[in-house]
Amino acid sequence: MSSEPIERRVSYIGDRLRGSKCGICGKEYFRPRDYCGTCGRKSFGKMQDIDFFYEKGELEVCTLVKEPTNKFTKLGAYLYGVVSFNNGKVRVPGRLTDSLLNESEIEISRFEGREVVPRFRRRYAVEQSDVIPTIALTFALADEYYPYQEHKIVKAQEEYEKPGIVGYGVYTSKFRIKEGSIERSVPFIDEDSITAAVEAGKMALIHSGIDPAMMAKVYVGSESNPYAVKPIASKVAQVLKLGEEDKAEGVQTVDAVDTEFACKAATCMFKDAAALVYFPSVREHYTMVVGTDNSQAAPRNELGGELDFFVGYGASAFIFGMHDVIAEIEDWCSCTSDTPDFWRRDQECYPRHGGRFTGEPAYFKHVTAAAEKLMDKMRLQPKDVTYFVSHQPNVSFPVKVATQLGFKDEQFMPGLQVAKFGNTYSGSSPMGLAAVLDIAKPNDRIIIVSYGSGAGSDAYSMLVTNQILEKRTRQKFTIRYQAENKNVEYVDYETYRRLKLGM
Amino acid sequence: MTQSCPAIIGVGRTKFGEHYEREPEKLIEEAWLKASESAGIERKNLDAGYFADYFLQLTNKIGIEEGFLSELTELHIPMEKTRSFSSALLNACNGIQSGKYDLVLVGGVEKMTDRWDKIRDDLMLLEDPWSYYAGCTPEANHELMLREYVKHYGISGSQLETFNTALAQIAVRNHKNALQNEYAQYQREISLESVLRERQEAHKPLGLYDFAPVSDGATALILASPEMAKKLSDKPICVAGSASATDYVTYSAREERTGFIASTIAMKNALKIANVEVGDIQVLELYDQSTFLEMVSLEDLGFSKRGMAWKDIMESSKELLGFYRVDGKELFVNTNGGLKADGNPLGATGGAQIYEIVKQLKGEADNRQVKADADLQYGCVLELEGFGTKAYVHILRRVNRS
Repeated sequence: MSSEPIERRVSYIGDRLRGSKCGICGKEYFRPRDYCGTCGRKSFGKMQDIDFFYEKGELEVCTLVKEPTNKFTKLGAYLYGVVSFNNGKVRVPGRLTDSLLNESEIEISRFEGREVVPRFRRRYAVEQSDVIPTIALTFALADEYYPYQEHKIVKAQEEYEKPGIVGYGVYTSKFRIKEGSIERSVPFIDEDSITAAVEAGKMALIHSGIDPAMMAKVYVGSESNPYAVKPIASKVAQVLKLGEEDKAEGVQTVDAVDTEFACKAATCMFKDAAALVYFPSVREHYTMVVGTDNSQAAPRNELGGELDFFVGYGASAFIFGMHDVIAEIEDWCSCTSDTPDFWRRDQECYPRHGGRFTGEPAYFKHVTAAAEKLMDKMRLQPKDVTYFVSHQPNVSFPVKVATQLGFKDEQFMPGLQVAKFGNTYSGSSPMGLAAVLDIAKPNDRIIIVSYGSGAGSDAYSMLVTNQILEKRTRQKFTIRYQAENKNVEYVDYETYRRLKLGM
Repeated sequence: MTQSCPAIIGVGRTKFGEHYEREPEKLIEEAWLKASESAGIERKNLDAGYFADYFLQLTNKIGIEEGFLSELTELHIPMEKTRSFSSALLNACNGIQSGKYDLVLVGGVEKMTDRWDKIRDDLMLLEDPWSYYAGCTPEANHELMLREYVKHYGISGSQLETFNTALAQIAVRNHKNALQNEYAQYQREISLESVLRERQEAHKPLGLYDFAPVSDGATALILASPEMAKKLSDKPICVAGSASATDYVTYSAREERTGFIASTIAMKNALKIANVEVGDIQVLELYDQSTFLEMVSLEDLGFSKRGMAWKDIMESSKELLGFYRVDGKELFVNTNGGLKADGNPLGATGGAQIYEIVKQLKGEADNRQVKADADLQYGCVLELEGFGTKAYVHILRRVNRS
């Protein structure tokens, strides 16, 4: 068994690549320290906290590892090397991730000198019952799928009447499986729903420009948390430094919670997140909702294997607040019934479909009811809505439900992303919302209706503001960027299953 | 100053390799009995013991090694445990030079194959946990340093080919040397082609034949004060200089990444203590965990100029000299086969290096003897802990009896 104290300390430093900078001579260190080796005692109390989480490094030298130590064997072959930050002020050991190496074609010098970005990943394999070790001494090439992006904190300018989305981010992996007209995102072997949640949250912070210390609460919805007990949200809070950090106590002053309601685990918290920032003492603060899933499916030849044709991998994160809102939440409506259409019993690896309820009455009844009730309540006609987004377990369901509700292709097609990333479960309808926000204009109205098996739907109406245009320039890693990226790598079915299973 | 040097009056060792049938105590017993026999002493004469191992607690679940040694010798003398043999020897020298002891047992043992399935993880975690977390292996940092070296000195094209051949020659020569070493783990020759082929097939700068193996083994020596040595030995080998230095645990974080700064500092200090020049050293045992380390250590210790060691090696290999011609002088290196062929049971390794230099200086190296002992005066041993995190240099001198 691993040691929890060591795990906690290594994760604290390694997940974010924390270090120190001497306030006197400027020397930088990976791993926090209380004094500078050069300046000695006089630097006590003058060391500044730094980290390399949002930085760009350079892979100075590297070598091919083909016979890893025991805990790394599931990675197969990988590149390992020296990564420098800030022109060699700091150097760290690092593993290049997100690459399935063809050993015979590896030319090491081709990788040396290239820019890399730290990635938050699983560190190595452990026993099924152990704490999952993570680290960010894992890097991806900055000129490939995952870009370097500056994290700049921007002071809030305008307070809005209604709470709304102030920033968002979506993360899907570099790997895809393509079968027929459907492409689906596949995690690399060191990724899971925890790492995706952190990546999406990071993207949302970059996009919103808010000070992470102003976060009041983070909600993470998932149905594929690798832990039965232990929140993803606490990891997201610590790695992304959400809320004020109390260094003396070693805590972030933030609330964090995981939610579960099949594929609507995240969307159901949008209203709660928005309501919280409306609370008088929280009005200056923000909340974050993440939907993340390494969507589970049994192998094709097994019970529940029909899901294996549709599952994807990814996460979406939305930040809510009263300031610098890009889409105000106008109103919402949720509906719920006890319909057992899809479930996963405790200690089972894969979910099951009943089969009888899947479309009708499960998906269609709930999505339609929530959408109609919301539109009735707001006295809206389909023509009053610019974009309609619904949960997307496949292509046909969302198209059918949108058409039945009276929406046209141009209203629902922009938000339909399942053919590019697969069903990302808790991240599914939020990913559609993100795709629409990526292109929306001020005063556009968006209706999003999620669906979670078991069963229920949340419908929201949002009105896009002027600030969406300015903020758009801050985010390179858009839905389109991820969907049409030329560095996407396609894998075969066996590789897809292996990567998805993880290490 | 050298008159007051502690002296080695007996050495002993086991064969290196896999000893799955024997407990670690049995190995140290064999080494100690041989050392005490060659020194002609009885256990009761001992004042203290220094004992080296890295991993017994992991490999054999033995925590207090000194207790086993106490049982073995049926003595209750002070004993201390260190990691490397060189560290044990350095501490023993300090003990003697302080005037506290007159006769000290120095031993080292390792049983790496008792944990063969986990030993590479252990080795890497010992070297540096943070590098381990980032996916490093016991071999990877050698290759990174090689890359740094090649880039730093701009070695490319046909020069790079020569450089690679020079490194391969090191493995070939070490295996050849081990043919005459009855204790060596590998007593067989390897060809230049096979070294190169292993690298090619692995698509790596260093291959299987570039790295030292995992081994079991034990070594021991008896260290005496000058007065005691005079009484007990006709041919004592004096420890003229003993020094060590340290460096950061994480290789990537070091300023100097094309060599080991700790080796350079330890050598400088050892030479100063021994009051000799680099050029006075005739036989040398280097810590060739990889062929690259043997090469770069020639530079770290000041034998070859920076960036030139591979050329010195290549020139010497061309003529099949059996020694390196450095600065116009003959330098015999790793005459026992080095870590590559003799074996590398960590805690015992330094003992085998000292053993070899002692045998050479005494003229007792049989078929390995490089020169008549009268023509040899100074030998030197470099031992490292981790990937250059610690370096120990010992300079040994043959004492001329008038």
